[in-house]
Amino acid sequence: MKVVDNNSRFLLDVDRRGVPGRDRMRTYRDEDEVDLLIVGCGAGGSVLAQRLARHGWRIVVLEAGPFWDPDTDWVSDEEGAHPIYWNANRIVGGEDPVELGKNNCGHGVGGSMVHFAGYTPRFHPSDFETLTRDGVGADWPIAYPELKPHYERVERELPVAGQHWPWGDPHGYPHGPHPIGGAAERAWEGARACGIEMRVGPVAITNGTFGNRPHCIYRGFCLQGCKVNAKASPLVTHVPDALEHGVEIRADSMAIRIETDGMDACTGVSYVRDGHERRQRASAVVVAGYSIESPRLLLNSDLGNGADQVGRYVMVQGAPQVAGRFPETLRMYKGPPPEVSSEQFYETDQTRGFARGFSVQTVSPLPIGWAEHVLADGHWGKALREYMRDYNHWSTLGALSELLPRAENRVSLADQCDSFGMPIARFDYSQCDNDRANIAYAKATLTRILEAAGAQDVLTIDRYAHLVGGCRMSATAEQGVIDSDHRVWGMSNLFVCDGSVMPTQGSANPALTIMVLASRLAERLAAKQVEAQPSAVAL
Amino acid sequence: MHGGGGDPDGLPRQRRGTTPQMHGRYPDFDVLEQSEHWDEPTRRAVLARLDPPSLRFFDATQARTLTAFCDTVLAQDRQPRVPVLQLVDAKLHEGRLDGFQYDDMPDDRETWRLVARGLDEAAAEHDAASYGDADPESRLAICEAFAEARLSGGVWVELPVAHAFAVVMRAVLAAFYSHPWAWNEIGFGGPAHPRGYMRLGIGQKEPWEGEEAFVIDPVADVRERGLDHPTEHRG
Ligand SMILES: Cc1cc2nc3c(=O)[nH]c(=O)nc-3n(C[C@H](O)[C@H](O)[C@H](O)COP(=O)(O)OP(=O)(O)OC[C@H]3O[C@@H](n4cnc5c(N)ncnc54)[C@H](O)[C@@H]3O)c2cc1C
Ligand code: SF4
Repeated sequence: MKVVDNNSRFLLDVDRRGVPGRDRMRTYRDEDEVDLLIVGCGAGGSVLAQRLARHGWRIVVLEAGPFWDPDTDWVSDEEGAHPIYWNANRIVGGEDPVELGKNNCGHGVGGSMVHFAGYTPRFHPSDFETLTRDGVGADWPIAYPELKPHYERVERELPVAGQHWPWGDPHGYPHGPHPIGGAAERAWEGARACGIEMRVGPVAITNGTFGNRPHCIYRGFCLQGCKVNAKASPLVTHVPDALEHGVEIRADSMAIRIETDGMDACTGVSYVRDGHERRQRASAVVVAGYSIESPRLLLNSDLGNGADQVGRYVMVQGAPQVAGRFPETLRMYKGPPPEVSSEQFYETDQTRGFARGFSVQTVSPLPIGWAEHVLADGHWGKALREYMRDYNHWSTLGALSELLPRAENRVSLADQCDSFGMPIARFDYSQCDNDRANIAYAKATLTRILEAAGAQDVLTIDRYAHLVGGCRMSATAEQGVIDSDHRVWGMSNLFVCDGSVMPTQGSANPALTIMVLASRLAERLAAKQVEAQPSAVAL
Repeated sequence: MHGGGGDPDGLPRQRRGTTPQMHGRYPDFDVLEQSEHWDEPTRRAVLARLDPPSLRFFDATQARTLTAFCDTVLAQDRQPRVPVLQLVDAKLHEGRLDGFQYDDMPDDRETWRLVARGLDEAAAEHDAASYGDADPESRLAICEAFAEARLSGGVWVELPVAHAFAVVMRAVLAAFYSHPWAWNEIGFGGPAHPRGYMRLGIGQKEPWEGEEAFVIDPVADVRERGLDHPTEHRG
């Protein structure tokens, strides 16, 4: 018998995009000791809440941003998407500072997946043991086989569309491949000419009947929030079912400090809502606020940092983009930016002269994003305008280079405070030689593909994508922040469950794996496989 | 016009709707004619850019300098012009910032004000009372020095030039290329919700999208005409 374990797609309304059931949402009082309090309603937090609510846990999710209604709050427009990003200030430093802004985390129910592009590849089995295999990075205290059933389950829930995937652990997808646009067609031709395999997908975008989720309309604004409900984000994939099972999602509530009993147990979280500081009691707390905000909250609460590990090993992927100019119009703004991709260069190949690898994906920036490319290539004034008028003739490929985790790449607390009186985050980032070699090789590969496709000219820029790490999972308390059950070393009932837990990042986009980790943790918590279970858990 | 850094020979005049300076590659495409097909919040957000509020963040002196800078760096050399500085001003006034600050930089709002001062200081070296008073050649030369991080002294002792250029240009580009006139110029179909796009393939367009009436490979053309180093080229 097939158990239905997530009804979100049926709970959505066919005529409205907003999540139904908000008016009926269960609410708790601050004094109620809930079974679980989750900070952050993004990729990790939402899945965990949805799963455990189905096991009867009484759960409150504190979310700093708004409870979005896509119909009224989002626009089909690049600049107008500004409110969906985390816009409170952070300091960036180091030798290779990472620009945040729209290329960073979200702010509101659904988290960063509200504006993620939609690529949902799995990690490769090798990602969990890069130290053993390749002598770089770190080994995870868990391995791919433990996650595999959760990958299959979450891929069905999103649902993921794409061709059969030949790389890593080969697998198929629940929905078939989407049609692709002219820009992706050109890039794919070039790859074929170079002997590089590409596949359509994998993207978390409906491509067929899926409950009350409409089909994609190929309008291309995935990074601005999908107003159609075709692209997956927790807002449509897990929040409806979570509400139906009694979760309270308390939006516009910024957690500022985790409270403890002074020993090894936390007792709740202090947060600010409507300008007032309040405290929600809870028998267990999960931090799921993204790779910058999770370390920031732990540091501000002075928790889990006994081994000086909180905020360390934050990673970004090198995400250089190369665009090729073609005689025909390609209008790359149409269709979801993620169309075809390749993981042929994912694993270490000694002949390339560096460890680990990169993936290749179509990216297709909209006009403002494209203008930033043109500027980065050195053009302003008349030259900029002329390049921009040529927008419809370009096809853009991106790489995701696996940059290595380094202890000094760290989130720490800055001297300045935000409007809540909480010290803001500072993020320092510097590359190592292996990173530079990887990015250079990836750029050369993208250029080769586009030239083989007949590009008359190419334009290259350097950028980053996807922050993960900062509260990494480790086998011993000295090497990281959490154990293999996501519990903060030295604490009995404090967990971290988001992208910050990753010890390595592979060259896959991280969102699917973040959800999968949450799904695994939920299963273990529900089955009481995690030792020293929170005391007041209802069954 | 070759050598003078003008528009490419034969770039069509706009026949329908408006583009910045009334030229572009899609002379019969006016994205605003499609606005009835956009969802309401999107329509409201886009149309508001046609009529931005008057300045609230910058004072008159700063505004004069920065308007001249925005127009130079975007080659808006005649009417109609996208009101770039007004759009930037609204953003800064409302505190719509981008959520990060380089550790060697002040707040973006402070950066903009310092840039205004720095441009005026640079104009003084060209014997002009302010950047806005400088002749077009000098404005171009200062812009070029700014883009190439060659400004020094005065404000620039404290303010890293390259980061400052990055900060102001991020806002300038977002303002200009979020404006529907600029979409007309480049043939961007604009918001497509709830209607969507259907013709995705090479060389295809929706029936309502513009026909491209002029093609030139900008890489070769920009190089030949030396547009990336306009003053150097002429000097
Ligand atoms: C432009 C862009 C494109 C991307 N494209 C892809 C892609 O194609 N594929 C992919 O896999 N990934 C992509 N990503 C990355 C992906 O979206 C994120 O890695 C992922 O969503 C992170 O999940 P998370 O659970 O760590 O945090 P999030 O999903 O960001 O959730 C964190 C939530 O916590 C809230 N929060 C934080 N601090 C607090 C606090 N103190 N109190 C209360 N709430 C708080 C935040 O508001 C946020 O909603 C993209 C990212 C960007 C920026
Ligand atoms: S292209 Fe498809 S998935 Fe992307 S935002 Fe539009 S409808 Fe949603």
